[in-house]
Amino acid sequence: MFLQLLKHHWLKGVRSPGFHKNLLVNIFVGLVALYFIALFIVIGFFLPEILEEIAPEIDPAHVFNGTLLFIAMVILFARFLFQPLSTIHIQSYQHFPIKRGKLINYLLVKPLLNPINYLSLCFAIPFAVSGMAPTFGAGGAFRFAWITVFLVWFNTLFASFLKRKLGVNIVVILTFIVLLAGLGALEYFKIFSLFTLSAQLFNLLIGSPFGWIAVLVFSSIAYFLNRWFFARNYYPESFEKTAKKENIDKQSFSFMERFGNIGDLLSLQMKLILRHKRTKGALYMTLFFLFYGLIFYPFEVYRKPGYLMFTAIFITAIGMIMFGQWIINWNGTHFDFLMTKKISTRTYIRMNYFFLLSLSVVSFILTTPYFFFGREIVIYHLVAILYNIGINTHVYLFGATYSAKRLELAQGSAMNMQGVGYKNFIVIIPLLVVPMLLIGIFSLFSATNIALTVLAIIGLLGIVFTKQLLEVTEKQFLKRKYLLCENFRMKE
Amino acid sequence: MIQATNLTKVYGGITVLDIPHISIANGESFGLVGNNGAGKTTFFRLILDLIAASSGEVLIEGEKVVRRDEWKSKVGSFLDEGFLIDFLTPDEYFNFTGKIYGRSEGDMAAFLKSMQGLFNDEIMGKGKLIRDLSKGNQKKVGIAAALLPDPQVLILDEPFTALDPTSQIRLKRMLNELQAARNMTMLISSHDLNHVTEVCSRIVVLDKGVVVRDIETNEDTLKELESYFAV
Repeated sequence: MFLQLLKHHWLKGVRSPGFHKNLLVNIFVGLVALYFIALFIVIGFFLPEILEEIAPEIDPAHVFNGTLLFIAMVILFARFLFQPLSTIHIQSYQHFPIKRGKLINYLLVKPLLNPINYLSLCFAIPFAVSGMAPTFGAGGAFRFAWITVFLVWFNTLFASFLKRKLGVNIVVILTFIVLLAGLGALEYFKIFSLFTLSAQLFNLLIGSPFGWIAVLVFSSIAYFLNRWFFARNYYPESFEKTAKKENIDKQSFSFMERFGNIGDLLSLQMKLILRHKRTKGALYMTLFFLFYGLIFYPFEVYRKPGYLMFTAIFITAIGMIMFGQWIINWNGTHFDFLMTKKISTRTYIRMNYFFLLSLSVVSFILTTPYFFFGREIVIYHLVAILYNIGINTHVYLFGATYSAKRLELAQGSAMNMQGVGYKNFIVIIPLLVVPMLLIGIFSLFSATNIALTVLAIIGLLGIVFTKQLLEVTEKQFLKRKYLLCENFRMKE
Repeated sequence: MIQATNLTKVYGGITVLDIPHISIANGESFGLVGNNGAGKTTFFRLILDLIAASSGEVLIEGEKVVRRDEWKSKVGSFLDEGFLIDFLTPDEYFNFTGKIYGRSEGDMAAFLKSMQGLFNDEIMGKGKLIRDLSKGNQKKVGIAAALLPDPQVLILDEPFTALDPTSQIRLKRMLNELQAARNMTMLISSHDLNHVTEVCSRIVVLDKGVVVRDIETNEDTLKELESYFAV
């Protein structure tokens, strides 16, 4: 039965109109996934060396175990926010003599079979070999890998339980943030050390031959919490309710059918870039500016926090700087099409968000060779990408609603300034100047690390509140829509 | 199907449209005529939520259109080249529009077949971008895309201008057939009194934004309109 349901789910995905046709999107997603797999494997192998450099007096395996509990909590939070609840179209199966328990079981176990959830093994297995084996022996390394799998199970199941029970709302999100920040503060002020607790716990679990059973027990508890929830709340209406709510989310945030229209719109955007002189010119400029870091990074003179932050954000956000502000203008010539055909405002805004997000991720990936200039650069780039994704994408998207001039894309080159106004430069302030000033000022008091942490946290908060920020932009867009329509109709 | 109440549009102190009340029934073919600047396109843009009304509102099936998305799945429309995506080929454009409305490949094939007469073998598979097509062919592409989702309401602004005589006659026939077979509600504006009286069962004349005639089409309608405009 389970396999049958799974097969139906698979067929539904493969046969959805979005699947085959979104080749471009699928290839892109595939490449990004490959990149991360490779990255995880490399990090897994070299993490012991890095940890040894950071904390030479402690065994790298112990350092890692010390942070593991915190990492698991952060991942739980991320899963709680972003992991879609698995659903089943109950009506199609209700009239068959299938036991409820089987359907519930299917819902719970399905996500555990999703390969994406095991991405962390790409890190855990190399690390087990290079980091765990020297301390705990081959058996320990083996147990570590299994414990990782059980932790994934626990996190996946427990996150969906929390999501089903509490729902994603501001109060829960804030509770999570306060909890995580609180643990960090307790550690910092040496009141309570989660690190020590975590290190002792996992040293024990990995070290003893049957420690993994304890983790498995926790996963089972998470599983039974879900069963308990369904036992109390399972009647068709409530089932439908979650399913319905999910469908709205799916329109935008999930793969396959969730990517449906957004994927189509994204490939339209790609065609737009490649078929117009001006946008193609901007694309070449973007690639050219990626080398901008070479002017600063190799020279000791420019190794000052302010400069580094400026350069890091500039090159990791270059795609957005070149394209971001005009994402709505570009659609000027076919704006009436987009506004009258069956494309909801939400889908349109999210498509633009995904476009900016992809630009940030691609720029970040293309700039990874700069990591050879040292650990400092790695940290600056990581902070920059968090800030870009959390804040800059939204600033640009919001700002784009103010660019209401019709652009003549077919003519002119990248340096064509037609349709560029002072507003296009105001956006640069939150984008580049704020982080640069923040870092610059803090570095005067030799507190650069605090400024970096603050920027990273601001970025993370932006990511956590993505949905809310997008809703703000949606409202703004609806306010500006008529003006945009009108201006885009006026030819120069 | 469509109701407008107290609908006005004012541009810089000048009222370009003022419709106290108008109601278009389900399955009605509604013809809109009037000289340039009479407010025909403005009326259509208000229905499609492309401009903000100065007062009043438009309802489609009892739901407001302002800043909503629901009506978009019921209405097919083509007003001008802003409804085209000029950097695509017609094939890509129909394909894209089909995806937005979730059409299957079978639906698309059937749809393109039904358009063969109108296209006259000049549109599909030519590898030309829409921006390089003639005005007439661009118009055909736009009209076809409006019909693609098999809408309950069809809104076309001057569909006959720029078309060659054969295409005009074919389009007329197609609209009449759609009306009879699907009971589609149609809103069509035109400068050509002949065509519009042949397609529409109700003709509304706009002058400076005000409805001056609202007639059920009969044998005398064409004469009546001709005498009205012959000033």
